[in-house]
Order: sequence, then structure tokens, then C-alpha cells
Amino acid sequence: MNATVNRHWRSFKWAAWLGWQIESNWTEPWLFAIYSVIKPVAGAFILVLMYVVFTVIGNVQDLARFNFVYVGNAFFIFVGNTLFGTFQVIQADREWYQTLRYTYISPISYYTYIVGRAATKVAVAAFAVLITIAFGVAFLGIKIDLSAWELPAFFAAMALGAFTLVGIGVSLAALSFLTARHVRGLAEGVPGVFYLFCGVLFPLTVLPDWGQSIGKAIPLTYWFHLIRQITMPADYFAAVPTGLTTDPLEIMALLAVSATGFFLLSIGLFRLMEYLARRAGKLDMTTNY
Amino acid sequence: MDLAVETQQLTRVFTQRRKIFRRRRNGENGESEGPVTALDHVDLQIRDGELFGLLGPNGAGKTTLIKILATLLLPTSGIAKVAGHDVTKDPLPIRLKINMVSGGESSGYGLLTTRENVWMFSQFYGVSSKTAKARIDKLLHTFGLWEKRNAKVRNLSSGQRQKMNMIRGFVTDPDILFLDEPTLGLDVNASRVIRDYVKSWVKTTAGKTVLLTTHYMMEADELCDRLAIIDHGKILAVDTPENLKRRLKKETTFRLEVDPLKDTSRFKTIPGVKNFSLKSDGGASLEKLTFILEDEAAVSDIVSEVVRQGSKIHHLQKTEPTLEDVFISMVGRSLE
Amino acid sequence: MTSTRSVNPLALNLRAVVGRAYPRIIGANREPSWVFFDAILPLLGIAAYVFIYEGFFRAPGADRTFANAMIGFVVLGGTMTAFWMNVLWSMASQLYWEKEMGNLQLYMMAPMSRMALLGGMALGGMFMTSTRAIVTLVAGVFVFGVHFDLANPLMILAVFFATLVALYGMGMMLASLYLLYGREAWHMSALLEEPIFLVSGFYFPIRAIEGVGAWGRAVLFGAAIIPATLGLDALRQLIFPGFFGGKFWLLSVELEFAILVVLCVVFLVLARVSLGYLEMLAKREGRLTSRHQ
Repeated sequence: MNATVNRHWRSFKWAAWLGWQIESNWTEPWLFAIYSVIKPVAGAFILVLMYVVFTVIGNVQDLARFNFVYVGNAFFIFVGNTLFGTFQVIQADREWYQTLRYTYISPISYYTYIVGRAATKVAVAAFAVLITIAFGVAFLGIKIDLSAWELPAFFAAMALGAFTLVGIGVSLAALSFLTARHVRGLAEGVPGVFYLFCGVLFPLTVLPDWGQSIGKAIPLTYWFHLIRQITMPADYFAAVPTGLTTDPLEIMALLAVSATGFFLLSIGLFRLMEYLARRAGKLDMTTNY
Repeated sequence: MDLAVETQQLTRVFTQRRKIFRRRRNGENGESEGPVTALDHVDLQIRDGELFGLLGPNGAGKTTLIKILATLLLPTSGIAKVAGHDVTKDPLPIRLKINMVSGGESSGYGLLTTRENVWMFSQFYGVSSKTAKARIDKLLHTFGLWEKRNAKVRNLSSGQRQKMNMIRGFVTDPDILFLDEPTLGLDVNASRVIRDYVKSWVKTTAGKTVLLTTHYMMEADELCDRLAIIDHGKILAVDTPENLKRRLKKETTFRLEVDPLKDTSRFKTIPGVKNFSLKSDGGASLEKLTFILEDEAAVSDIVSEVVRQGSKIHHLQKTEPTLEDVFISMVGRSLE
Repeated sequence: MTSTRSVNPLALNLRAVVGRAYPRIIGANREPSWVFFDAILPLLGIAAYVFIYEGFFRAPGADRTFANAMIGFVVLGGTMTAFWMNVLWSMASQLYWEKEMGNLQLYMMAPMSRMALLGGMALGGMFMTSTRAIVTLVAGVFVFGVHFDLANPLMILAVFFATLVALYGMGMMLASLYLLYGREAWHMSALLEEPIFLVSGFYFPIRAIEGVGAWGRAVLFGAAIIPATLGLDALRQLIFPGFFGGKFWLLSVELEFAILVVLCVVFLVLARVSLGYLEMLAKREGRLTSRHQ
């Protein structure tokens, strides 16, 4: 038992170290710092300008709606990066660094290794969320209302969100055992699913009925809802109706169940895809063209 | 006689690269990497129609020389000419006439078939599709790869992949072909097919030149019209394999297999020993010694020294000199 | 030498273009999963931007007059994004990839022009990307009900192709930078992705930047160097004429087209010069052909 825990801890620790080296080592620290700030702020600015154009041609100001979009986008950075950081590991190691075969045959847990590699991206993403929110509050009139007694709930929500995302990410990584090099497509497309159906940038009620049904079936929809409920001022939160339950405990329970579900799914999928890839001889294929 | 390749005082020094965005770091212990001289004032002439070999250990400068001649790398100083053109000033006419195959390389795209991959490369040389396809089919038969013509490259074995690379090298019908360790890691049969074809290609087609680098003695001995022995970026000798070996005729080669020795430094001081090398198979119980002797009488002193160290002689043989012996005689260590 | 060899340079380079385009097109067909990953999935992200406007226009009292055109802007921006992403990730970084795969030294040793090599990649890449672009446009029309005004098809095509040539010319130029900076360049690309999405106005009329602050004009000027910015603005003017009284347009279509043509020439020349220079530099430093450097 102890040996198993040690093996997982060793896998995680070294993978996280490697992830940090890859993430941070390509440049001078100052450029890395700029990189970590510019990317999220520029992303947020796209939405700011969309809102600016809307206010001019729609001839109306709706700060609550702008707050809704901005906060959703900021926390989506966390979602996108955690997902991407997790599912890209297999393809990057296989096609880019071509180290997958050596890592895979080493006596580590490859599942835990993937999670470890993603850890750096999760940490950098959390920092980017903070930067984006701080920028919005300082320069764009974004209102955040997070009192001290709400902090435990906030961190609990973040942890549950991270577990769910890593579960989804590893499931996707497992699929990439068998697919060709599609990191770019996945990087755009997979977050796109959540971007579209989870009420990140617009209330779920904007979607057609079938879209709303999909959204309501994805646990992250409730996660975004909960995060907004905790961080946004109550009047702003109430001003944009989403058609979702507002009981935080109910949402927490739902997230706990879904995190467990995705964790189990990721283990099952990982084992299955790993087996199929080994059987088909695809573990260390390269598919560039 | 026309020259296919000519170098004069060719030198290539590698310095540590500077990076704009990356932190500059020294080694683990704080040491910094200094410049490395890969080629040191190399003078070489390879005649048109010759199968010329470069023989040397890893890191001797063989690949650096090939890369310079193949227009992939610039010399630091000196002159290199291929087909009469300067590699620095006039690379295009050279590129029309050359091709290169390296051992262990992975070229092309895994999703393409063997035929498609070779065809693609032929297009970069302006070979018409019809001619290219006819050549490819012929070469596929020659190299025993016909069955795999429609297999995706990612599904080929390493030997099959290397055969495909050879076909890629020949499909453009180059005048000068650079073969950089072409049989590296291949089994006996695959190596034989490649050697036979290279030999017959040079001998039966007028005006074809091959520059072959290898650290396989037998390959160099069997294939090459002339050889250059290279070590630490310097050419130590250039001659036919026979002449190189003949240089050792005045000397005698002895091979010994003994139990592991405690100290080999004393062998060098025995009168009559010109040079020697020691090969140990990494933990194996026996060590192999090769001695180049100027005076055959030295063998009794060698035997005495081995016995003095408490080691047992399992095998002692006087042999005809090989190219490896030539190398040991010049450098004082074996090639591998 | 006993033989002399001459090859018609045009024929050689055309063959090289076809040769390099081939694996992209054939490779794509052999791994059909790309249609899902590279053409269908990205559509979801674009759809999300469409619904942002939908969401905004649900605000009480909002004037919906131009809502359809705004959604059209996003669809058109999404279409051009496909090409931009292809340029960034499959053109600019490709020489670096080729190096990692061991192909680059074989390309650099071959007698064809390096521009032909990149041209082949571009052509092959355009094939795949056009599929994604068409999927986006079709979705725009049939799913989001965008109405495109195609009154001036010749000009639309001219602007579109000028944008593509300038964009891929820029990609060719970037390829040489990637060759020089290796892995760092990949990160630079990732860094620039959002800022370029921002200043190209993929999801809103670019002129809006002007209204944000004093630096807006300066950003606007810089943004005009990216061919997608001008191309997109011109295409929007042609396809959505009269949008908001022309208040959001940058320059006249004719002027934007003329600048694009100039950019085509400039980028192609710069690409050629920088490729030559960087090839020489890489050969001098000896890392043109070394993997993982």
C-alpha cells in the first residue's frame, strides 16, 4: 500500500517538475511573467471590445451582463488550461518530444504522470484568472464581492472543479492514445464545447432548447453558476437569469458526484485505450504530415 | 582526373550558441562549454568515379565533413568543393548533383506509403513523375522492398526504413552520393544488400562517386577504393585499404585474450611495442588485447607481464593486419 | 565531373510545390479524424462567440437592428481564423517540426527553392483549412441564419485571395524565425495568439479598438500589418454594406485591397530574404539539422 502511494507520489512529483521546466524554462523570467499576463488580458479584451461595439450599436448599457461575461471568461481560463494541460500530454510526449515510449516503460504510474504534467498549467492558469479579475476590477469596473466567510466555499468549489476537469482531461488524453496529432483542433474544440454549452459567456437561456439540455447535463455549467454566485455582487448575479438552481449545497453535492464519476471514467477509459493502443502498436506512433 | 570532392585546409569549429530568449546557463558544475574543433585543416581529394571511405570513431568529424559537403553546414575556414563548385559560394549546382543517406535517420511522413515518400523527395530534385516512378519500382525490387511498396512508412521496420532511405538517395540519380553510416544497426542481410548495390552502382555506372563514412572495418575494407583515416578532426592517412595495411607489413600484429588485467600502462614501455589497444566487453570475464609490434621479440615480455599480474592467457595469435590494426597503430586505441 | 546537369528552375520548383503539398492532402485523407478535430470541433468555439452577441442583445431595451450583421461578423471572423491558425501552427512552425522529424536536412540539401517547399506546405494546408472555413460559413448560413450580401463577388474573391497570399507570405516569413529560435518561437506564437485575435478584430469590427483609449489608434496602425485585419475589414464591408452607417469601417475597400496587394509582395520578399539569411545563419551555427536544439 505504502509502495503504491510512494509510486504515485514519485510519478506526480517528477512529472510536475518536468511540466514546470517545460512551461517556464524557454525564456527569461521577465518574458515569462509578461506572457502570463498578456495572454489572459488580451483574451479578456476581445470580450471588452465586443461589449463596446454592442453598447454602441445596441444603444444600451448592461453592466451586470458585462460582469457576467467577464467573470465567466476569467474562470474559463482555469477550465481551458486545466483541460488542455491534461489532454495534450500524450500527444506532446509522443509526437513532439518523442519521449512517450521511455516514460511509459518506466516504473511510474502514467496516469499520475499525466496529472503531474498538468499541475503546472493549472497553477499558471490560476494565476492568470487572478490577473484577469484584478485587471477587470482595476480598469474595467468589474465588481467582485467575495467576503471572508465565502472563501472556504470558493476554494471548495475550485477544488471540485479542478478534480472534474482533470477527470475529463485524462479521459480525453486516453482517447488521444489512438488518434493522430490533433492537439490544435482539440485545444480549440474541446474548450469550445464547454465555452458553448456551459453558460460561460452568456446565460444558458440564450441557447436553443436542445443546447440548454446539453448544458444542464454538464456539471461545469453548475460550477460556473456557483463561482458567479460566490464572487459576483448579489444584484448583478440576479440581473442575468440563467434558469439554474441557486442552492450552493445542491451544486456542491452535484459537483462532488460528478468529480467522482469523471475520475472513475478516466481510469476506465485510460486502461481501455492504453490496452487498445498497445494491441494496435500505436503507443509510440508519429502522425505528422 | 576530375575531382568529385576537394577540400583545402577545411576547418569547422562549433561554438556555444547564443540564445536571445533563453537564460544562459553553464553546466551542472558551473563549467561552460568551450568551442569544439570538429574538423582541423582537412585536405582531401576524392576522384570522380571513386568509392571513397572515411574511417574513424564516433566524434571524429566524419558527419561534420559530410554535412559541409552536402551544403548543410558552412566551414569555419578553408575551402570545400563538390563537383567543382564551392560549397559556400555556389551551393545550388552542387545540390543538383548530390544526395545523402544517413544511417538510423527517419525521413518522410509516417502517413505516406514507401513509394509516395520516395516520390515526394524525387520531386524536390525536379525528376519527372514518370521517370521517378520507374526508378522507384526498379529500386524497390533491387532492395527487396517491393512487397512493402504500399505500406505506410510508420509501419516499416528500421531495416526496411533504411532501405527506403537508400532508394530515396538513388532515385534522383545523383553523381555524388554521401552515405553516412548507411548500414548502422542493420542486420547482416540488409547490410549485404546495401553494400552490394552501392558497389555495383559505382563500378557499373560511369561518373558516379560515393563518399562513405563508417566505423565498420569490414565494410570499409570491402567497399572502398581509397580510405581516409580520421580522428579528432584530422586526416591521419589516405590510401587504398591494401596500401594502408601494407604499411603494417613491417610490423607484427598479435592478439591476446586474457583474464582482466590490473594495469596496462606498462605495456607501452616494453621495447618493441609500437602501440596497443584493449577491448573489454563490459563486465565480461575476458579482455582482448591487440599489439602492433616493431620487434616480434617483444611478445615474450608481453606474456611475462601478463603472467606477472597473475592473469591467465586464453588465446594468443599472430594475425595479418586489418584496417583496425592500422587505426590502432596510428591512434593508439581501437575504433569501437 | 563527367556529367553536367541542368533543370528548368520553374519546372523544378513547381514539382517541389506539388511534392510537398501531396503529403498534407493525402495525409489528411488518411487520417479522416482531422475533419472532426480540425473542422467540426472549432466550430463550437465560434458558435460560443455568436451566442455572446445573442446574449448581449437579450439585454432589456437593446436595439437588435444590427444583431444579425454582428453574428455575421463572428462567422466571417471564424472563417478567417481558420486560415490564421493554419498559418501560425502549420506554416510558421512547420520547418521546426521538419527539423525535429529529421526531414529538414534533406529539404535543405535539395536543389529546389525553399519558397517552393513552403509554398507546397501552404497549398496543402489551404486545402485542409478551406474545409474548415467552408464548414464555418455553411454553419453561419444554415444554423445561425446569417445573410451574406454577395453583390460584388469578384471583389470579394480578389480581397479573399490577396488576404490569403499575404497571410501565408507572413507565415513563410515566420517559418524562418521559428527555424532560428526553435522551441521558444512556439511559445511566442502561443503568446501572440490572443493579442492577434484581439487586434485582428476576428469577433468585432476592428475600428472599435479606436474607441477604447488613446493608444487605440497606435494599436490599429500596428494591426493593419497583419493581413487578416485589413482583409477581414474589407470582406465585411463588401458582405455587410451599410453596416451602422459605415461608422465602424477602417479604410475604403479599394485602399485596403491595395495595401493587401502591397503586403503580399512585402511578405513574400521578406520571407525569401529572411529564409535565405536564416538558412545561412543556421548553417554557420551548425544547428540547421540538429534535432532537439
